[in-house]
Amino acid sequence: MPADSAFVSVLRTTSAGLAARLDFTIDDIEDLRMAVGEASALVLPQAEPGSDLTCEFFMRPAELTIQVSVVSHQPTPPDEDSFAWQVLTTLATKASASADDRRFAITLSMRSALQEPDS
Amino acid sequence: MSGDPTEDDYSDASAGVEATRRRSAELFAQLRENSAPEPARDAAREGLVHLHLPLVEHCARRFRNRGEPFEDLVQVGTIGLLKSIDRFDLERGVEFSTYATPTILGEIKRHFRDKGWAIRVPRRLQELRMQIGSAGAELTQSLGRSPTPRELAEKIGCSVEDILEGIESSNAYSTLSLDAGDGDDDGAATMLGAIGIDDENLEHVEIRESIKPLLDRLDAREKRILLLRFFKNMTQSQIAEEIGVSQMHVSRLLSRTLEQLRASLESDDPPAG
Repeated sequence: MPADSAFVSVLRTTSAGLAARLDFTIDDIEDLRMAVGEASALVLPQAEPGSDLTCEFFMRPAELTIQVSVVSHQPTPPDEDSFAWQVLTTLATKASASADDRRFAITLSMRSALQEPDS
Repeated sequence: MSGDPTEDDYSDASAGVEATRRRSAELFAQLRENSAPEPARDAAREGLVHLHLPLVEHCARRFRNRGEPFEDLVQVGTIGLLKSIDRFDLERGVEFSTYATPTILGEIKRHFRDKGWAIRVPRRLQELRMQIGSAGAELTQSLGRSPTPRELAEKIGCSVEDILEGIESSNAYSTLSLDAGDGDDDGAATMLGAIGIDDENLEHVEIRESIKPLLDRLDAREKRILLLRFFKNMTQSQIAEEIGVSQMHVSRLLSRTLEQLRASLESDDPPAG
């Protein structure tokens, strides 16, 4: 997709659709929707003008992992004290960022609340 | 004399009930006179609208302070009045005001129902959204957790796609302010007033200095939802229950607040921390 915030809503909706297929609860789906929005908001400002936002979805039973990445020259890793990062890590089960000199990526995983071990 | 209080209310002001009724009957006779020339009938219709406009204003006044301008309500109410004038049956033997009041009120209520939507959404989706809201609340109760779209679909009897579509469409819905009163009769009790706010939580929470000034700019409810979600780690359904709105409403408020915060973070230089 173009690295443009206008396309983020499509990404959010897609993520929600996939999570629904995995039988996530409405709460989880809404959290995921927001987490994806936050992750996109973190990577987009670092994208090269005119480049693409790449999204990859990895589905496993009760778990959805989404990676959003952009082409970026010498990206700065996200400030872990920043508000957006706090929001992201609260919403997602797991979130991580990776930056090399060509790409900046954020990976977030969400596990369905229904499948978490009850202990 | 019919026992309709509305009628007495609006017509006893100056002209007197009887005079208004007589005038109304005359105009209706003119309007229904098929042999009368077109302009004369138009004039009669016009006259009826003017004569009964106070009734519309009276009806619209019942809906004051609900977040919609009074003039708009009078305008949609007038549509109801026009419909009533065209459909009124003189043979029925009821007063016109008795006949017109429900139509006018109906038109105003319909305005509220439709106007709550930021984007015009098909009626099917509006109804679906309401079904999702009530089925969601029920299931949250019985399951003790937020339901999945599949569970909602089974409960309502539609497909998972429909549920997703319904949830998506609810993002286009903006309810009128919680701060608006529910009527002019029993005081100014607003929904917002009924919601308790435990401020001590705000003080106990460690708020990062960079976002504190931004948080201070949020209104109390937005701030509260944000804190419940991110500092008390409550789910949207739990927040919905605590605050007394629907989960979908919490979702919308939360998204909007985050959007606002992000926008302000981007525009201001946050103080170095």
